[in-house]
Amino acid sequence: MTSTSVAIGAVGTRRRRSSRARTGGASGWVYLMATILVAVCIGPVLYVIIGGFRTNAQITLDPSGFPTPWVFENYGGVLVSSEFWVAMGNSTISAVATTVGAVTLGVMASYVIARYDFFGKGAMYSLFAAGLMFPATVAITPLYLLIRNLGLVNSLWGIILPQIAFALPTTIIILVPFLRAIPRELEEAASIDGTGRLGFFWRMVIPLSLPGVITVGILAFVTTWNGYILPLFILSDPGLFTLPLGVQNFASQYSVDTARVLAYTSLSMVPALIFFSLFEKRIVGGLTGAVKG
Amino acid sequence: MNVRKKWVVAAATVATASLALAGCAGGSGGGDEDGTSMEMWHNSTTGDGKEYWDEVAAAFEEETGVSVKMTSIQNEDMDGKLQTATNSGDMPDLFMARGGGKLADIVAAGVVKDITGLIDDETNEAYGETPFAPFTVDDAIYGMPVAVLPQGMFYSEDLFADAGISEPPTTFDELGDAISALKDTDVEPIALGAKAAWPAAHWYYAFALRACSEETIQDIASTLDFSSGCWLSAAEDLEEFAATEPFNKGFLTTDAQEGAGSSAGLVANHQAAMELMGGWNAGVIGSLTPDGEPLADLGWFPLPATSGGEGAPTAMMGGVDGYACSVDSPDACEEFLNFIAQAEWQEKYADAFDAIPASLDAQGAVEDPVLTEMMAAYNDAEYIVLWLDTLLGQNVGNALNTAVVDMLAGGGTPESLVETATNAAARG
Amino acid sequence: MTSPATYAARTAGERGTGGGANAPSPAPRKARADWRKRGEIALLAGPGILIFVTFVIFPVLMAAFYGFFRWKGFGFPEDFVGLDNYVMILQDPTFREAVMHNMFIVVASLILQGPLAILFALLMNQKMRGRGLIRVLIFVPYVISEVVVGTGWSLMLQDVGAVNSFLEKVGLGAWQQSWISEPGIAMGTLMFIISWKYIGFAVILMLAGLQSIPEELYEAAAIDGATFWQSQWHITLPLLGPTIRIWAFLSMIGSLQLFDLVNIIWGQYIAATAGTSTMATYMYQNGHLAGNYGFGNAVAVLLFLISLIIALTYQRIALRRDTAGAVTGDSGRKKS
Repeated sequence: MTSTSVAIGAVGTRRRRSSRARTGGASGWVYLMATILVAVCIGPVLYVIIGGFRTNAQITLDPSGFPTPWVFENYGGVLVSSEFWVAMGNSTISAVATTVGAVTLGVMASYVIARYDFFGKGAMYSLFAAGLMFPATVAITPLYLLIRNLGLVNSLWGIILPQIAFALPTTIIILVPFLRAIPRELEEAASIDGTGRLGFFWRMVIPLSLPGVITVGILAFVTTWNGYILPLFILSDPGLFTLPLGVQNFASQYSVDTARVLAYTSLSMVPALIFFSLFEKRIVGGLTGAVKG
Repeated sequence: MNVRKKWVVAAATVATASLALAGCAGGSGGGDEDGTSMEMWHNSTTGDGKEYWDEVAAAFEEETGVSVKMTSIQNEDMDGKLQTATNSGDMPDLFMARGGGKLADIVAAGVVKDITGLIDDETNEAYGETPFAPFTVDDAIYGMPVAVLPQGMFYSEDLFADAGISEPPTTFDELGDAISALKDTDVEPIALGAKAAWPAAHWYYAFALRACSEETIQDIASTLDFSSGCWLSAAEDLEEFAATEPFNKGFLTTDAQEGAGSSAGLVANHQAAMELMGGWNAGVIGSLTPDGEPLADLGWFPLPATSGGEGAPTAMMGGVDGYACSVDSPDACEEFLNFIAQAEWQEKYADAFDAIPASLDAQGAVEDPVLTEMMAAYNDAEYIVLWLDTLLGQNVGNALNTAVVDMLAGGGTPESLVETATNAAARG
Repeated sequence: MTSPATYAARTAGERGTGGGANAPSPAPRKARADWRKRGEIALLAGPGILIFVTFVIFPVLMAAFYGFFRWKGFGFPEDFVGLDNYVMILQDPTFREAVMHNMFIVVASLILQGPLAILFALLMNQKMRGRGLIRVLIFVPYVISEVVVGTGWSLMLQDVGAVNSFLEKVGLGAWQQSWISEPGIAMGTLMFIISWKYIGFAVILMLAGLQSIPEELYEAAAIDGATFWQSQWHITLPLLGPTIRIWAFLSMIGSLQLFDLVNIIWGQYIAATAGTSTMATYMYQNGHLAGNYGFGNAVAVLLFLISLIIALTYQRIALRRDTAGAVTGDSGRKKS
């Protein structure tokens, strides 16, 4: 599973009113299962977060212990270091720009594939879909040379543009069914009102496909936020590092200082986690592709 | 202390790339075109080393008005990053060079400045010819050495004393006895950071240094022919040595120089007694002690002699760290190289890195007992061989390193190790 | 890739190219309208195609080109060696091992993650307190970056790390292992980490699939006296079919291209030794790090071809019934 883990709206959609829990209440074992599951998922993450509140001596002596006492210097130290905020800023710029670009271009291309009839439509869809088979790893050398020839090495544009390109297949594959599901009656009604295809696109398609757009937006954002190999090749200036590179760089710079590395690592997770928590419901909803007709 | 040593290096370039083509890739990495600022990549990510370079940059700017932007790159990432930069022609003005085949690889790409005629008389005077050998490709000099880093055993005198070992071992038989004695005291005899592969490969090179004749080693970089029996017997010797389980538990995933759990960290924290490493190790161990101060009981002895083999028993392996200029760097670049070659900065370098400075003038100022020990052995050595992976260059060097780790893990044999190196030569 | 039921009837069974699921707008076709339509298509799809072709397709084609050369990565490749690189790769036991590891990861991921993901999704779909929070929490591993996951697990799994120390504490000292370096165990460790990291994604998909199953079916089943598990078996599983098949497809592609986690946890060199190397790590090590760019690009081409063959085979066998082919270009039609 590469960073281009993708989701696909290939999930059967029938109109449902809203997500409702199954009846049949939760018994004790449901809670037990849920607890175990959460413990397994969160345990390692908590280890990293809590480890940041310990001293190196504590970690060395007792790798699996709790902080005794809790120390806040590690987190404090990271939060006042410019390195962390610079990387945070770079990651934010890169992820936001990529998301906006991928969603905008993706919606436009998906609309064409979903609602126009023309020769070569199937080929266009296949072209994008084939992109699923190309992880950035495969083409990294030629990609690097290309970016270099465009004069974009060591600039955030040098990672944003390829990231948009690599996010497009997923985006288009998820959005096409969405756009296709918009009832034709709406389009007919619009055209009777004298709205052209493009007008219909702006006024109806964009608002109606919002759940799908949010889904692909989040996936693009998370993938980019966590991207590793592309920035690794394209960025050598620490002033442009994104958080994953920042984590690695920090881990080698303060290799002796495990506790501080843990603190930096924990802090770098926070933005993606917050972002994801806010939108978690929308993702499931979006994938379900429930279009309010 | 006028060391005149013979370096066994045969950096022959198989220069296939025409310079004209490489020349298309213009643009100096990050530096201004007018030569008032330069970019430099070095591999000191921590402490004193990093401070040293920042200090040098400040002093150089004061003297010349040219600013040098320092970028520290993690040692394990350095070769890959340089490789990438070479491909793109987007080299930093100044970068770390390890000499040998690795340097020859990028010289062949036409991205390194020939500094043969650009070295100051003072520098030549202070250095002598010797340290330039690893940076000489087809009779032209491409790099300025800053430190000489001979290979040897770093050890904890206290742990040796606890195990009742009075004298550092001089032969492999004595080393075997020391290992048994150390095991009885419940410390790991030898720390090995095999995660990065090259530290494990150092053991193979050590056995090859003893098994192969000077000529065989001299020729290997240009012929890449491993059919001489000594390459196989060196692998067999290593396999035999590894069977005595001298290395720390979990050595396959142990880092070399990062964190308390790394091999240098194990020595720094008295969890392991010895480590076979290059001359920079005293500084690394010092940075990993609990208080971050140099390890008080650190000692050093040269690689023990083997009973057989065609190599000289006093032959040493080692590296020379140096810096090179990219082909389109401003004139300030060679000025900078001459600047850091001055005795004053070389002495500071030796202090900051706990390493033997390349400048003979500065070597006299070395007082550290470990370094003194190292220099004595270096002066006695019949000849010095550059690290094999550096000598062989990235392609064969990396393959060899991996094959050594594979054999130590039980996934390969001495025969497959030699075969891997041969196959890699076919790929490049 | 579905359309609501209103479309299902009309789109069912349509295959081939072009035939749109949506008839063109009823306005009379005129040449001018035709040109206008072309303009709109170009305007809307042009930018996406341009970026995509420039940064994805073109580099991949270049990789295929470089794969026929012995090339050190600088200057223009001149040393044409035909298929030599491919012969060398296919003869290299290290590469064959890497392929076997990839295949193992593909199969093991499906077997491990599939059933668990369905189970967890069912669980998450129950009415319970704190459901929203629990959902967010089980997605955490999916959201954090591979670098963080790699760094964290590496620390915990060291011989003197938290996992072994924890085992010691709870009296299972005998279970301590060299989780990362022991060749027999490393692959199991990797599978655990992969499952831990990516199962959240599978659960998201399954949850979305569950939400589209009409409640009425369960109600009817309950009236017929079916137990909870009977309903799941007879209603949920069949109706989740399309979701499961799509997830499996994505999971396979991901497993074939696995790189980040292995590279971060096992370093550049010992993945092969520990038995966790993948085609992508082989390519990185023997191509990029060794400076053999022609050779490395040939590995990339093989990686792509292997992914493509598996994807096409899978589509022919499994996806055919419900979806488009992501690759065959049968743009997203499906029988609901």
